[in-house]
Amino acid sequence: MNIVSAVILCTIVGAVGAIILVAAAKFMAVEEDPRIEEVSACLAGANCGGCGYAGCADYAKAVVLDGVPCDKCAPGGPKAAAAIAKIMGGEASAVEKKAVVQCQGSSEHCKPAYDYKGIQTCAAAAALYGGPKTCSFACIGLGDCTKVCKFDAIHIVDGVAKVDKDKCTGCGACANICPKQVIMIDAAGPRKPVVMCSNKDKGAVANKLCTTSCIACGMCERTCKFDAIHVVDGVARVDYDKCKGCGMCAQKCPKHIILFPLKDDPNPPKPVVKPAAPAAAPAAKPEAKAEAKPETKAE
Amino acid sequence: MAQENKSKVSILTNGIIKENPVLRLVLGTCSILAVTTAVSSALGMGAAFTFVLVCSNIMISLLRKVIPGKVHLPCYIVIIAGFVTIVQMFMQAYMESLYNALGVFLPLIVVNCIILGRAEMFACKNNVVDSALDGVGMGLGYTLTATLMASIREILGSGTWLGFQIIPESVAKMSIMTQAPGAFFCYGILMAGCIWLEGKLDARIERKSCCDLDNLKKEAE
Amino acid sequence: MLVKLAAIFFSMILVNNYVLVKFYGICPFLGVSKKLDSAVGMSGAVIFVMFMATAVTFPIQIFILDPAGLSYLQTIVFILVIAVLVQFIEIFLKKYVVALYNSLGVYLPLITTNCCVLAVTILVVGDYGADVAAHGFGYAYIEALICAIGAGCGFMLAMVMFSGVRKRVEACDPPAPFKGLPITLIAAAITSLSFMGFGGIVENLFNVTL
Repeated sequence: MNIVSAVILCTIVGAVGAIILVAAAKFMAVEEDPRIEEVSACLAGANCGGCGYAGCADYAKAVVLDGVPCDKCAPGGPKAAAAIAKIMGGEASAVEKKAVVQCQGSSEHCKPAYDYKGIQTCAAAAALYGGPKTCSFACIGLGDCTKVCKFDAIHIVDGVAKVDKDKCTGCGACANICPKQVIMIDAAGPRKPVVMCSNKDKGAVANKLCTTSCIACGMCERTCKFDAIHVVDGVARVDYDKCKGCGMCAQKCPKHIILFPLKDDPNPPKPVVKPAAPAAAPAAKPEAKAEAKPETKAE
Repeated sequence: MAQENKSKVSILTNGIIKENPVLRLVLGTCSILAVTTAVSSALGMGAAFTFVLVCSNIMISLLRKVIPGKVHLPCYIVIIAGFVTIVQMFMQAYMESLYNALGVFLPLIVVNCIILGRAEMFACKNNVVDSALDGVGMGLGYTLTATLMASIREILGSGTWLGFQIIPESVAKMSIMTQAPGAFFCYGILMAGCIWLEGKLDARIERKSCCDLDNLKKEAE
Repeated sequence: MLVKLAAIFFSMILVNNYVLVKFYGICPFLGVSKKLDSAVGMSGAVIFVMFMATAVTFPIQIFILDPAGLSYLQTIVFILVIAVLVQFIEIFLKKYVVALYNSLGVYLPLITTNCCVLAVTILVVGDYGADVAAHGFGYAYIEALICAIGAGCGFMLAMVMFSGVRKRVEACDPPAPFKGLPITLIAAAITSLSFMGFGGIVENLFNVTL
């Protein structure tokens, strides 16, 4: 009798459980767009969080339901972006994103303000008067970005972070973790210049803090013919929608801090020695452009 | 499949050394910490665990073609629970002191990550003989590791080993080793020792808890 | 009665802490306590599931298993019920309480096969099952539910504390064999050591015998 009642009880528990679950699955089913699964399949599946979402499934949902751009998957690269774009019926951009550290405050340019002996992470050091360097906007150089990079693409060289552009996938993990926010994810490509400083102080103050700082002189803004670079809040920043990559701002910068970090030679093209005559000014521009073009072709 | 080329001996020793569930795969941590206060309970738990693992591996391997994919997890749990109940009743009848020593961790063998893990990773993909051998290997690995840890904890903590007085009574003992902090500490030291040994043999693997965040995100897809 | 319930609640959090004293739920403790928000999310899910599981399994034990003399089926029935319950909760939350599903949902499958939930259901039956005959089902049921919530809160306390400890430990530089899980375990040993100080505090504070 005991055996029979045991078997009956187990069967009943199992059956009741099964009925509840089947009914729940049927009546409480949530409609999910089938495209979400298709988009998920195109992604790299590494769940690195580089897209800024909580995982590949979350990003796929955002793409399908919220119309987020399809090119945020860095490990998937342009191939994934194109595949997702095909599913969503749109077009994808083909430029590869790379991280750039907008700071050159190595030990020869920016001196330490104090000897920091605390927890050796940038996050901790940033809490103490903005960091151990005299410039409080500088890269602290304790390597939080190195620890978080999954592709071994960023390292601390002489006290400042440097990106290996060949390994970088533009996932943005380093930019997210940097407490000084000096890392920019460059989506504009190697032909556009980058201002390699994040210092918001002006003139003599900036100069005293670091020898390669942006002094907000405005020379670049005055030089640019396309209104593509402005001094905003004490530091120069490029508007990549308008920038044509001519490199005039880089040539004119008195501190030589506008560079092309994604090119093999980051230095701006040498300025053409122009005679004082005004007729040479329009001649210098196409020459600078022509110099920039063969350089990019040689990449 | 690569598994068919594995020799039977390698399947057996897999669970003891290469994929030791406690020190390399970081599974079954709850029971390891709790039952290693004395060598006798570690051995008893190891025996019960091995029995359940081997039987459930055999049964799941026998039924692997029959169980539908969508409900495989509840089915495995029921099978394992059945064997655990058998062991519980056997121990309660014939080994009452061991039954009381193990307490609630005997029924908790049901949700032991190792058993479910082996069921999903091995038993449902291999034939009966291989699954049984894998069960024996994993069980042996678990028992040996538990015995090692229990020996350290018992000798240092109460001066005995399997009831025999090793350290004379007059010497003060580190009774903290038989309590909660000692368990974590001993486990940490053993795992560090294992990693150091692996470093010498060039066989280091990354250790993550089975419930690690990264696994969670992968499963969420 | 309220004093006894408060005593049970606090003893489950401090003296009989499920993670640091009794070793239930170590796997999620080691895996999910890396970040504070995931630690809180996991603990929230655990409290919720522990409460619901006890609410369902305690009556089943008292009204079905014990009278029929089938208490040896406890393990099988309890684990089946818990598995079904968690699955049902997941489907229910996904449909009706989406905000909660987004924050807790990913942890729910993890809790199904976790020691802590099954442990609390079995232990609660052992501790308070006898009270049914003495004080009636309602009283014992409330004791059981408070015990389950206390166990969940103790889990949350341990997880949150440990995520803070872990953040400091990760910034340090231990010897190479200790990097990763071993140093975490030793940090857990010290945290567990601190909880040993709570022994006997509840019974003396509330002046009850538990």
